[in-house]
Amino acid sequence: MKSGLLLLTALPLLAQSSLYVVAGAAKEYVVGAKLAASGLFRQTPTNTWEHLGYTVPFMFGLDYDPNDPSIVYMAAGNGLIRGANGGKDWTLVTGSDITELRDLVVTPTAIYIAHSRGIRVSKDRGKTWTELSGKLRRKFTEALRVDRTNPSVLLAGGEEGVFRSEDGGQTWKPSGAGSYQIAHLEQSPHDPATWLAATQGGGVYISRDGGKTFESPSEAPGVGRNLYDVAFDPTNPNRMAVGGWGPGVTVSEDGGKTWAARNVGLPRPDVSAIIFDPAHSGRIYASVHEEAIFVSDDVGKSWKPSGMEGRVGNRMKFIPGGSK
Amino acid sequence: MKRIIFLILAGFPLAAPPVAAQTPPPFEARKLAMIDAYAHYPGPGDAGFGQIAARLWKHEDPSWCSQKLEQLLAAGPSGDMFWMYPVTAIAHLDQGQLTPSARKALRSAWKTYMPYRGDTENHFLLYYTSLYLMSQLYPNEPGSTWYTGKSSEENLEEARQWIEGWVKLTTTRGQGEYDSPHYMGVYLLPLSYLSAWAKDPAMKKRATMMLDYLIADYAPENLDGLYVGAHARVYEDQLVEKWKGVSSDFGYLWFGVGRPMPFPNNYTLYYAVASGYEPPEVLKRIATDRTKPYTHLERKRTRNRWRFNDDLHGPVYKTTYVRKEYAVSSDQGGILQPIQEHSWDVTWSVPDPRGIHNTLFFTHPFSSVHELQTYFVFGPDSAIEGVVRSKKTYDSPDKILGGSPYEKIFQDEDTLLALYSIPPGARFPHINGFFSKDIGEILEDPSGWIFLRGGASTYIACRPLQPYSWKPIAGGGKRLFSPYLNNGVIVQVAAVSEFQNLEAFATAIRRLPLEVRLDPVPSVRMRSLRGRQLEFTWGQSPSINTRAVNYEKWPLFGGPFLDAAVDSEKLVIRHANMRRALDFRNLISTDSGQ
Repeated sequence: MKSGLLLLTALPLLAQSSLYVVAGAAKEYVVGAKLAASGLFRQTPTNTWEHLGYTVPFMFGLDYDPNDPSIVYMAAGNGLIRGANGGKDWTLVTGSDITELRDLVVTPTAIYIAHSRGIRVSKDRGKTWTELSGKLRRKFTEALRVDRTNPSVLLAGGEEGVFRSEDGGQTWKPSGAGSYQIAHLEQSPHDPATWLAATQGGGVYISRDGGKTFESPSEAPGVGRNLYDVAFDPTNPNRMAVGGWGPGVTVSEDGGKTWAARNVGLPRPDVSAIIFDPAHSGRIYASVHEEAIFVSDDVGKSWKPSGMEGRVGNRMKFIPGGSK
Repeated sequence: MKRIIFLILAGFPLAAPPVAAQTPPPFEARKLAMIDAYAHYPGPGDAGFGQIAARLWKHEDPSWCSQKLEQLLAAGPSGDMFWMYPVTAIAHLDQGQLTPSARKALRSAWKTYMPYRGDTENHFLLYYTSLYLMSQLYPNEPGSTWYTGKSSEENLEEARQWIEGWVKLTTTRGQGEYDSPHYMGVYLLPLSYLSAWAKDPAMKKRATMMLDYLIADYAPENLDGLYVGAHARVYEDQLVEKWKGVSSDFGYLWFGVGRPMPFPNNYTLYYAVASGYEPPEVLKRIATDRTKPYTHLERKRTRNRWRFNDDLHGPVYKTTYVRKEYAVSSDQGGILQPIQEHSWDVTWSVPDPRGIHNTLFFTHPFSSVHELQTYFVFGPDSAIEGVVRSKKTYDSPDKILGGSPYEKIFQDEDTLLALYSIPPGARFPHINGFFSKDIGEILEDPSGWIFLRGGASTYIACRPLQPYSWKPIAGGGKRLFSPYLNNGVIVQVAAVSEFQNLEAFATAIRRLPLEVRLDPVPSVRMRSLRGRQLEFTWGQSPSINTRAVNYEKWPLFGGPFLDAAVDSEKLVIRHANMRRALDFRNLISTDSGQ
């Protein structure tokens, strides 16, 4: 019931949303080198890309403030960045004590960040932070999500699989894929008990019990390769996808039972980020490594380039509010 | 006064420095020569920010400086912290010389450009030193005027916290990017900035003491100005031609030893135009006194290990043996740093090191995603590809640079044992030995030893534990290639003056009792040329005269010249009865003796 309410409020907002991507033009980049426009981009109504804020080389996560969607947050090498005015006006929120942020979640009452040495939460929009990874043996955290139906439930992915906390990060229990590094986690917008985890080497892992346990499906895509992203289609409860290096874009239309590669038309099957369009059923975007972002209107059966040439999109997100 | 000194300097052009045997010009003259190299850069083109900084320091041609600065800024800042530090120097050297327009353009760039903070400690130190000093220069300005979105005071406080934290970490657990012949410069120049320009007396004092600390780190490990191994990070050209780098500029600047680069590295320039700190006499003596052989110990730490380790930093145990003819230096082996680690070498003295490869070392060529993911946060697939774009040989089986988890090293004085246990299935199941083009004599003895002469002063005995072949090296010399999983090399060094000739040295080496086992892991028991009984088995603690080496008691610095205990935040620097004591906890520096 609680999740249903959230869904009802979220979908109309997302129907009037813009696609944002955090991406780097890091093909020839080493620290100190000149860098082409990199960082935060927003797709315009004419399907071009608008670069927002500064050029920065490393940015891996983004989210928005549900209380004010014009405020975008970015997980960057320099720290947590708050981008007001639709992502244009930046402030570095964190200080010198953490670096290389990997992921983030913004809820109405808290900001959670995953970084190179753990997980932190701020309940005052970044003024003060509390470390949550104290009970984790290995701190490096690549993926982080908060259960939208219960903000005390956190899922974190690091170098030893997925961990779940039921007390806001005070304690953690392993919940699967323990032999693998986790690259990303997502919760189904339809069924809050269903989660996907992208792993390095182990393929996709699925949880059907709210993240308490993760298991590898019998036909798991990406085994022996590295996945970087997972996505649910907000318009179709049975449709989900993974993106990875080798598997490219692989889609399931039966809730994760069977999977099919959908790479015809992509220049290479090396995909770093994927997302379904909440306003166009069947439309999916994929960032192909150092090539471009590609778009498909038939769930990956055919693709066409959609800009961002030469860049690596690390994460994509639809954020409420049209382009201005 | 500065102009008078400059005129005197005309007799000491940097490009043709006096030979080492002659008395070098005094420190101030050496410093001015380095600054003049930039101020009067002969072209082609100009020397960019460095030339502006040098001319501002000399109070020369401020209109050119303003015009050039605006031109460079208009082109769009880039370079992250490597852009921040030159611009910060220019802002502090301005002192009313720049036009208001140029000064405004400089200040505005700190709003319009967001530098990346980087992923190494030198990046952070450059970044936060620059941010500290710029925020200090423009106090009471709101976040809307800085790229950080934070006020001057918030920037200053964040930077202060990081800098103080780094000083504490370094003076308790050792430096992370230790003893790098190149990257030493990017620690020295920010400290020189803070020493010169920090208004907070505590920060100024701390930075000045850290200059003593880092110069003391170099002084006992230089041989005629060359920074001897092991190094956290080194580039391949300086790995074999040890003269070719930043350390040569600093050795010459501080102590008048060795030979500077034909055109000084800009790290040295910015060091010079800030505090231009001249080391105290006690450090000069340590850097140049090679009358008695000595063993110098250091404890350092690994770079940040983000993954696969319980502790962020691991210990590095360094041993360096130095005498006037040569130096032998090592760490304990393993992956202590990514990509550019250099774990051991022998360096012999030569009259003029330019173009000379006066070194010998072995390594196991190792590269892996696991290594890169330990020290970097990036994903697995583009990791090696990305590194190879800038570090060309990282993934090559022929490489001679980099650490290996399969290499374990033990050194006692000038005897060194490097053992290798490479697991089956390893991508590169062999070891590489670097034999320089400049080795004087070489004798492959039926006993299994290789005897050679390094320069005019040094004999080296080298005993590969498995059969080998030779392969050419581009640029000269040859590579010993030994394709066995359990392997190793024994190296014993001596001065030419200790023996009548190479054959006499060889005879002495052949007589040394030696037992070698290769299975299940390599193991060596031997008597060294210095009469010590050494035992070392791969993966186990070594022993000297049956007593196990106790790494738990390894000092931060230990030897005849430096003393510092782990976690002490103190360093005692001494030569004969001359002494300087640094106490970072209380920010006190105390001198005694003469």
